[in-house]
Amino acid sequence: MSVPLSHILIVASLMFAMGLGCVIAWRANVIMMLIGIEIMLNAVMLTFVGGSAHWGIADGQLFSLMLMALTSAEVSLALAMVVYLHRRKQTVNTDRFDSMKG
Amino acid sequence: MTLTELYCLLPIVITGCAALFVLLCGPLLLSSSLTAIGVTASAAAGIWAAFTAPAPIQCIPGLAFTPLAQLLIPLFSFAAALTLLLSHGYNERRILKGEEYPATVLFALFAMCVLPCATNMLILFLALESVSFAFYILVSMDLNRAESGEAGLKYLLMGAVAAAFTAFGFALIFTGSGTLALSAALARPENRAIISAGWGVLILGMAFKLSLVPAHLWTPDVYQGAPSPVAAFLSTSSKVAAAALLLILLGHFPPMAELRAPLAALSVLSMVLGNLAALRQTNIKRMLAYSSVAHMGYLALALLTGSRDGYAAVLLYGAIYTAMNLAAFGAISSLSFEEEREQITDFTGIGFTAPVRGGVLALAMISLAGIPPTAGFIGKFFIFYSALKGGLIALAIVGILSAAASAYFYLRVVAQLYMHRSEAPAPKPVGFAEGLALCAASACILIIGVYPGPLLEMVETALR
Repeated sequence: MSVPLSHILIVASLMFAMGLGCVIAWRANVIMMLIGIEIMLNAVMLTFVGGSAHWGIADGQLFSLMLMALTSAEVSLALAMVVYLHRRKQTVNTDRFDSMKG
Repeated sequence: MTLTELYCLLPIVITGCAALFVLLCGPLLLSSSLTAIGVTASAAAGIWAAFTAPAPIQCIPGLAFTPLAQLLIPLFSFAAALTLLLSHGYNERRILKGEEYPATVLFALFAMCVLPCATNMLILFLALESVSFAFYILVSMDLNRAESGEAGLKYLLMGAVAAAFTAFGFALIFTGSGTLALSAALARPENRAIISAGWGVLILGMAFKLSLVPAHLWTPDVYQGAPSPVAAFLSTSSKVAAAALLLILLGHFPPMAELRAPLAALSVLSMVLGNLAALRQTNIKRMLAYSSVAHMGYLALALLTGSRDGYAAVLLYGAIYTAMNLAAFGAISSLSFEEEREQITDFTGIGFTAPVRGGVLALAMISLAGIPPTAGFIGKFFIFYSALKGGLIALAIVGILSAAASAYFYLRVVAQLYMHRSEAPAPKPVGFAEGLALCAASACILIIGVYPGPLLEMVETALR
């Protein structure tokens, strides 16, 4: 393989960290959190594809395809909930969803 | 596909078909018949799995009917059937209409039935995520309460982050070992760094699913917001499913030396902080949430031993915890009418005005506190016994001390139930379905507490 495995792992780890950073830094906005989660999952897919290429098997690519299906289902559910909660409170700011404390 | 393979797959087929059937024919049927279909399908799947001999399944890659599945499928089916029975009356009182509810419970059960059958990481991951996915929907099902939708969104966002962690863990393990099959994934010495990194990330993701400190922050909000029968199902089956995933992985890869420190830290923090935080709760659902954090800490302690005794203790405790929490949340849900009855002070004198439900709640609390002759004592005994035998003496002492402290907040509920009389009118009588579910859960607590032999044998068989 032309690209060494270590490079792929470094890039994927950086992407994963950036996605996590996005989720933590933009905690106030649901949409930005979803974007961060997508970036994290893309890092995971990159790792799988890199791993498959390294070992010469397709298992990792299959896993990535399944992950895509899973994330699209998750995002659609999250967006449905955002729409529902937006109708209730007129906001996507998570700090306003504070009816439970303790 | 041979006939034996079909027999082994039947629990999965039954639950999947029942879920689809309920969803398709829901509009034409009464809600009571939907509950009946769901309960029958769960019971059929559980009983079938309990009496089928373990066998490999060749026709579908990544699945096998393992001895572990023979124990866990009946357990999950029991929890799902009880949840459906409990939610029948609850949903009528709270005007939660629709066939989606029983269908989603059955979908969750379907995924749970697949999980212990998995022999590769793809199926394992997909099953775990499908369980969570069904719970995201179930938690936010109650449209009449603002908390329910909020809890669902919180659970979904945190759950998606945790899913990313778990998937990254699997990705790194795959990249290090070169295969998705669990049995062939031997740790390659040249890639040990990648595989250990994968395990570390995976443990973080699983800490969320098991709600171990510091990934426990979602637990109290989700338990409070979720409808009580859903909280019962969530706190038992999804936790046992996550523990089962770790057991399956640890059964194939022996625990690595570098895993011990993080797992020990998670376990100690959960036991101590969970019990301390539960002390100051005034809402019984939040208190049970923190108590489940502490209980998962005990489970992590048993996992940490890495011995057969420890793994047996995990399975035993999972089964016992299922019965205890179903009884506790079941009693709460059968006492909730127009409003959730969730403040501990709302339970004043319930032991006299509603003796059966009050008694079940008291029994569940005594069992959660680990007082003999209830099942909770047996579970805690085997956890701490395996920890002491496995040489984790300091951790076991911390666990025993925090378990002793936890008796205070469980017994406070019992005192509230029986020590004071209340002026409030007696709660309305309970329906047949809910009564049946409460009786089944409390019978399990008492029978396992007095006569644990058969359950111990089943656990031993499951680990063979």
